[in-house]
This record gives sequence, C-alpha cells and structure tokens, in this order.
Amino acid sequence: MGDNHTDSAVEVRDLTRVFGVRKALDKISFDLPSGAFLSIFGPNGAGKTTLVNVLTTLTAPSSGTATVCGLDVVEGAVELRSRIGLISHNPLLYPDLSAVENLEFFADMYGIEEAEQRVRELLCAVELDHRRLDLVRTFSRGMLQRLSIARALLHKPDVLFLDEPYSGLDPHAMDIFDSLISQIREDHTFVMISHDLAKGLELCSHALILAKGRVVLSETRSEIDDAEFAARYRSIVGIGVA
Amino acid sequence: MARGAENRQGSRGASRGLSWRQYKAILRKDIVMELRTKEMVTSMGIYALLTMVVYQVALSQAGTAFDPRQIAAGLLWLAFIFTSMLGLNRSLVHEKDQGCLEALLLSPVDRPVIFFAKATGNLIFLGIVEILTVPVFSFLFLQQGSYEGQWWMIPVVLTAGSMGIAGVGTLLATMSVNTKGKDFVLAVLMVPLMYPLLLAAVSATTVAVLGGADAGSQFWQAMALIGVYDAIMLVACFGLYEFVIGA
Repeated sequence: MGDNHTDSAVEVRDLTRVFGVRKALDKISFDLPSGAFLSIFGPNGAGKTTLVNVLTTLTAPSSGTATVCGLDVVEGAVELRSRIGLISHNPLLYPDLSAVENLEFFADMYGIEEAEQRVRELLCAVELDHRRLDLVRTFSRGMLQRLSIARALLHKPDVLFLDEPYSGLDPHAMDIFDSLISQIREDHTFVMISHDLAKGLELCSHALILAKGRVVLSETRSEIDDAEFAARYRSIVGIGVA
Repeated sequence: MARGAENRQGSRGASRGLSWRQYKAILRKDIVMELRTKEMVTSMGIYALLTMVVYQVALSQAGTAFDPRQIAAGLLWLAFIFTSMLGLNRSLVHEKDQGCLEALLLSPVDRPVIFFAKATGNLIFLGIVEILTVPVFSFLFLQQGSYEGQWWMIPVVLTAGSMGIAGVGTLLATMSVNTKGKDFVLAVLMVPLMYPLLLAAVSATTVAVLGGADAGSQFWQAMALIGVYDAIMLVACFGLYEFVIGA
C-alpha cells in the first residue's frame, strides 16, 4: 500500500454523523485489521448503512475520523474509491445495458487497463459468460447479485463492503454467493452488514453490534460464544433473532 | 493488499486521461441507454409537438391581421424550456431509481466529470428534439409574410441557449432528484434562474425571425448576453456539482 501502509484496514475514531437533529452515528470507534471479516449487526435504524456510507465515501462524517486502507474517507476520498468495492442488496447495475456493457462501463470509470480481458475473466468467474450480451433487466436476482460481485471486484479492491448481500437471494443463489466470497476471502478485508446472525457469525472474524448509532458490542470471533452473543443481540434489538 | 496495489497501476486518481475516459464512458452509456429505451427523446419530442398544437389552437382566433412572427421566438423558447424540464428530470431519475448513481459515486471519478457528461447528453437529446420541432414550428407559425430574418442565426442561438439550459438544468435536476416533488422543485428553481437566458434567447431569435436594419448588432448583443450567462453558469455548476451530488 506504499506510503499509506497500515496494519489496520479500517480505523474509526469518534465518528459521528448527524442528520438534522438525529445522530445516526454517535462517536463510534473501532479498528479492523487487514484480511479480517467484520460482521455488523443491529436493528433497523441502528446506523449500519450510514456507517458503511461514510466508510465508502458516499456520506461525509459530521465529526470524528475514519480511514480505510490508510486513507482518510474525506481527504483521500478519490484515491480510496479505487481501493474499495461495495456489494449491496441493490445490484447497482444499469438494467438497460448488457452484462458486458455494465462491466465495461465500470472498467472505464475505474481506468482499468486491458478491460476486455478483465471483464471476460470476471464473467467466467461468476458463471455469467453465457449471458454476457443479455440485458441486465432480464437477469434473475441471483444472477444480478453474481454480476454485482463481478462489478465490485473489477478494480481489485482491497476492502469489500457488503450491505445485506443475501437479501432476496434463494438458497441456491446464496450457496453460489458464498462460494464466490470464499474464493476471494483470503485476499480481501470484508465489512458486512447483516440481519442474519447465523450467517454473519459463520463468516466473520470480528463482530460488532450497533444500536442507536453506538457500538454496544465489539468482539473477535474467538471471544464470541454464539448462544450468548445471540442472547445479547436479542436483548439489544428487543426482538427474537432467527 | 500489496497484490491489489500492484495491479491497480494507472487506475488510481483522476488524471486528465482518466477523466476523459470517464466522460466518454458516461456519455456513451447515456446515449446507448437512450437509443434502447427512447424514453427521453420520445417523451420530449411528443411533448414539444403537442405544445405546438396547443399554440396553434390558442392562436386560431387571432385573425389574419395578427402576425405570429412577432411572438414566435417566445413561443418557441417556452416550448423548449418546458420540454427540457421533462427530459432533465428523467435523465437523473433514471440513474437514481436503479441505484446506479451510488455506483457512479463510488468510482474514482471527479464529480464535475459526471456533470459535464450528463450535461452533454442532455444537450444532445435537447438538440435532437429541437431539430424535430423547429421545422414543424416554422411550418405552423412562420408562413405568414415573407421571411425577413437570417436563417443561420437560428441554429446559433438555439445551440448557445440550449447549452445554458442543459448546464443549469443538469445541476438543478441533480439537486431536485432527491426531493419529494422533484418535478415541481425543478420548475420552481429553473424558471427564475433561466430568466436572463430566456430573455436574451428570445431577443436573439426574434431578430433572427424578423430581421431588420440593425439586426446584426442586435443579434450579437443578445448572443453576448447568452455567452456571458453560459460561461458564468457553467463555471458555477462546475464548482457546485460536487456539493450538490454528494448532498
């Protein structure tokens, strides 16, 4: 990572984001080492998406600092954007472009050299090469999510943000998604928002629970007792957890 | 992470070469999508032609003594300003509805590049609608009496005026896209801001239609106003777009 090398992939210090009079994030602090997989849990309105939006430079913090890959999310935003990827429940793809046109468009946006070859590699990797010329609007939810992974990996990001990536996927599509994530697991740092406690704990090396914009629990996987964690999560959320 | 860094040579930052590539990519994408869906040009074109029909009905009882050329320029620009609102809104709503704006903002693109690409696209689509509309308008309203103006002035003023509409309109459409009543907000913001441009464009177009002894100097006077307006507004849009699109 050159001059910006750091052992922490994500560093957050007293991060606050205010919308009007509501504090979506209230002095959040945590570190995430490179290569880790952080699962973020929390009830609706806890600030999970706002946190990811700040870390992906989509929303500016009101106060505090956050660095990803050693780059400040405000000062180093432009450079940082080429080092992160986002896979959301929303595929973030143009429905009136084909799969290959979508990936070529984003390859241009990221200034990727030899884009054609990279696009072909990724379409093969997500098993969509046979649908490369089809309009994205004709894709199933699972196919959209696989193409979304290809879009997010196009520029070989260091940190991948996953915002409820399993939302709306059938079990088969979830298996394919898991398989793709496991293939790239070692080379990337992950930050995932999830409402699915079991899935989040299965994947994570670190876990964090947010409530009312605050970190109420932050533990590494080895410190977590699943049953106890689920009980604490239930008590925080105030509802049962599947 | 060193692996990723090694493989990203040439892809970081927003160098001039990359900005040009991004500009072309956004513009090409907008044109390809419009060619496939024909949403903007079709809706704008039909709206503009319907406006012509309404004008004709409105002026049908004016009598033979009334020369529609006196108000032709105003009618034409009125049609263009309302037509452009329809298209400008769609250009950003399309991006927003699919969540694609988020993906665009996640890429290492300087926000003014998005502005210039979107504005260029809107200018092209507005230009196509104007090319379709002006002959129809001429046929309906400029038949009475001999044409005394100079035809070459019309494309000049249309191009300059449309640049202002596309530039300011793209900025305002970006501002209004996140609001609840986006159509209303765009109209409320756009008409007052466009007032000086409209005034100068109508003046230049009137000269182009009616001609006159001093037509040349009057035309260039109005064109100078349009030029100053375009320059000021484009610089302001360039400076404001990062703030507006990130808000």
